[in-house]
Order: sequence, then structure tokens, then C-alpha cells
Amino acid sequence: MAASVFIGGWVAAGLTLFMFSFLYKDNPFFRFGEHLYVGISMGYIIIRIHYDVMIKSLYSPVTQEGKWWLVIPALLGLLVLARFIPKVSWLSRISFAVIVGFGSGVAIPRIISSNILQQVQGTLKPILNAGQRPFGMTQFNALLILAGVITVLIYFFFSIEHKGVIQISARIGIYFLMINFGAGFGYTVMARMSLLIGRFDDLILFASREYAYASLILLILVTLGLVLWERGRRPSS
Amino acid sequence: MRELAGKLLRLDRRAIFVLIALATLLPLLHPFGLPIRVSPEVKAVHDHIESLPAGSLFLLSLDFDPASKPELYPMAVALLKHAFKRDLRVIGMTLWVTGTGMAEKVVSGVAKEYGKRRGTDYAFLGYSPGGANVIINMGQDLTATFPTDYYGERTADLQALRGVRSLRQVNYVVSLAAGTPGVESWYVYGKEKYGFELGGGVTAVIAPGLYPFLNTGQINGLIGGLRGAAEYETLIGMKGKGVAGMDAQSATHFVIILLILLCNLFYFISPRTAVPRGSPEEVGR
Repeated sequence: MAASVFIGGWVAAGLTLFMFSFLYKDNPFFRFGEHLYVGISMGYIIIRIHYDVMIKSLYSPVTQEGKWWLVIPALLGLLVLARFIPKVSWLSRISFAVIVGFGSGVAIPRIISSNILQQVQGTLKPILNAGQRPFGMTQFNALLILAGVITVLIYFFFSIEHKGVIQISARIGIYFLMINFGAGFGYTVMARMSLLIGRFDDLILFASREYAYASLILLILVTLGLVLWERGRRPSS
Repeated sequence: MRELAGKLLRLDRRAIFVLIALATLLPLLHPFGLPIRVSPEVKAVHDHIESLPAGSLFLLSLDFDPASKPELYPMAVALLKHAFKRDLRVIGMTLWVTGTGMAEKVVSGVAKEYGKRRGTDYAFLGYSPGGANVIINMGQDLTATFPTDYYGERTADLQALRGVRSLRQVNYVVSLAAGTPGVESWYVYGKEKYGFELGGGVTAVIAPGLYPFLNTGQINGLIGGLRGAAEYETLIGMKGKGVAGMDAQSATHFVIILLILLCNLFYFISPRTAVPRGSPEEVGR
């Protein structure tokens, strides 16, 4: 095994245990891991942006391929930084105007088409199609979606008082929303457990002889460190 | 009984952490092999790749960072293995700057396993800034968006990209996404305009939000979370990280359901002090 992989295993196991130590309580190990994560993430982003954006997409095309017009977006990008200088901060508005104008122009038609028109089309599927059984799951699903959309929309319709039929529909809409939130929460729990499984999976790997029992040794050391930290915090009698 | 229920409700929350840790760890150490049923949305992605003739272009956009690795990395491995097994030309890329190194590692790692040559059988384009705008640019001119690949080779010279001018020539795109830009960006800015087929692989957190798009056919299939990865691995007959994690996933879910039921039961049978109506305590409840 390469030394970098071995050392990487120890670092990964150690930092995982540092972060898990928060489950006991906030402590210096957790804070160290947290700050390290923020620092490394920022460092990595800066380096990648430098190579992938500044060098690959700007410096090389301008100097080697003569694509001088790329200097214009670069200047617009620099103008954003004018916000930090109060006297010329108004210059940043030029860049923001371009960003907002271009962003809206690109996004609005596509979002309307994909997220509204096609979704409305999906809601209004024909209940009966040639060759289909008249009372199957397809029809049930289509009706369920239709009922869900209409009742939820009625729930969010605040221009009239929720009384009578409107109240009943709005109440049904709330149930649809609750089912949606429940499904979303269930999926979130599943996602978080998957992350835990991923870390445990790695800890098991790093606990092997190949990695010189990194996880086990580091678990003992972190536990010992927490005990010492707790004892150090206790006020002396 | 009422007293015991009250005591259990006041139990230190760290006891729950230990229970969850055990429910996760034990099945990982001693798997009991619960059956995995394949859902139609995962099968749709598999079947589409299966239907592509050898040499077709398959673009895998790894739009995630290491924070979502446990869920999306197994999916990436399974999809790449399937694509390389089917002799598809694979294009790997990412819209997430923080995922670049990891994306390169998985694409080149699986390619090496199948004896595929970089630049000839597959290409890894790396990261380009702009999020959704990258997709629009790729739809106009792919080689202009990525003049060089991740390794600095000119994309116009790559054998793996022969005959590819834009996204219109790509047969199938799958975005493995942990957020935005991701699957949504690919169908909003890519699929509709450039006409390629699109599948999605996402973290479980964002999967429910994509089902409406599956229903309308805007995406042809959806692999959701670690469970989706396990289903895909089952379909291609591979025992990867997804399948290995399923027992632990089921065990933790069982413990959570049990705890929710027990806590509710204890809540109703435990002695409760009367709270005056309208008091801050009542509002808090």
C-alpha cells in the first residue's frame, strides 16, 4: 500500500472520530475538525478555481489563442469587487445588472416551460386511454395527482374565507401536504443514515490490519483525550 | 408503568446515538442479506443503458462533492461499470468544483478495471465554471466549453469524442446530483432544448422533489439514495457498497420506527402535569 493511502486512512479515521465526538458534547476535537474542514474546503476551491477558471478559461485562451474578448467578462467580474471600495462601489452595479439580466433571460423561459407548463401537462393526463383498463392503478394515480394539486392550490388560496366546500378541500390539501412532508422527512432520515453507514464502512476498513488498526487506536486516543479534557474542565475543590 | 415511561422519556439522548450506532455497525460486520426489490424508476435507467448499442455516447455528470459520497459514489461505480461493460463511450464531468478530484478518481478507477483507455474509450472533462450555463454552452459547442480535458489534452483531438460537436450527439445523460446544479439544471437547460434522454441519480434528500419530473417523463428514470444504488448493483449483478449498506439501512430504520412508536406510547402513558390553557408552556407544545 502506498504511504499516502496509509496516511490518508489514518487522517480520515481520526477526523471522522473527531466529528463524531460532538455526539458526546461540543469539544476541542470537534472544533479542530470543523475548522480544518472549512479551511481545507476553501483552499481546495481556491486552487481549483485558479486552475479551472483563471488559467484554463481565461489566461490560456487570451494569451495563447488570442481570444481577447474574454477580457470583457473578466473585467465585469473585477467590477464586482468594487463594492469593497465605497467611492466606486456603484461600478459593481454594472456587473450585477449583467448577471441579473442574463440570468433572468436564460432562466425564465426555461423554468416556465419545464417547471410549470410540463408539470401542468403531467397533471392533466387523460384518465381513459384506448386499450387501457377503465379502473386500473393508472387512472387512480391520475385522479390522485389531480385531487392533490387542486386541493393544495385551494389551501393556498387566501382571497376567500375557508368555509364549507372550500374548507373541506383545503383540509384535504393539508393532508396531501403532510404526506409530502412525511415522505420528505423519511427520505431525509434515509439519507442521513446512508452517510452514517458510509463513515462506519470506512472506519471498519481503517480498523483492519492493513491500516495498522487506525480506527481502533484513534478511538482509544480520542476517548482518552475527551476524558482528560473533562477532568481538566472540572473546577478544583 | 407510568413512572417508568416518564423516566424513559427523560433518558439521555446519547443512549439513542448508541442504539443507532449499534444498529448500523452490527449489520455491516455481520450482514444478514435482506432481499432487495428493484423499483421501476431504477430499472428504467438500467434498461436504457442496456438498450444503447456499443459505441453510443454516455455522459455521466458527477454533480456532487465528498459530503454526499456514501450515497452517490456507489451509484457512479455501478453506472460506470455497466456502461464500460456495454462498451459505451463514456464522458465524465462535474458541475461541482469541490467534486472534481473525486469524480476523476471514480471514472479513471473503474475505466482501469475494465481496461479502457483514457481519451480513446472514455474522456474526463473535469470542471467548468458556470453551473447551468455550462450545459447551455455544451449544447452549443462541447469542445468550446471544454477546450481541454481534465488532464490538459485538447478535447477536439480525443478519439472518445469523435463526431461529437454538442450535447445533441450524446445518447444518454445521467446526472448524479446532490443539489443544484444537478438533475434539474440538466433537464431545464439541456434535455428540452438539445433532445437527449436524461436519467437522474440523487441523494435521498432531493429524490422526492424529482418524482413529479419522473411522472411527466422529463427524466426517464431515477436512482434515489443508497437504496437506489443497491437496486442498480442488484440489476448488474454486482455486490458493491450499496448492497452492503442495505442491511444496516434497514436495521437503523427499524430502530428509528421502534423509537418513534415507543416514545409516543411513553408520552401518552407517562404522568403529565396539567398545563394551563394559553400559557407559554402550552404554546410550546
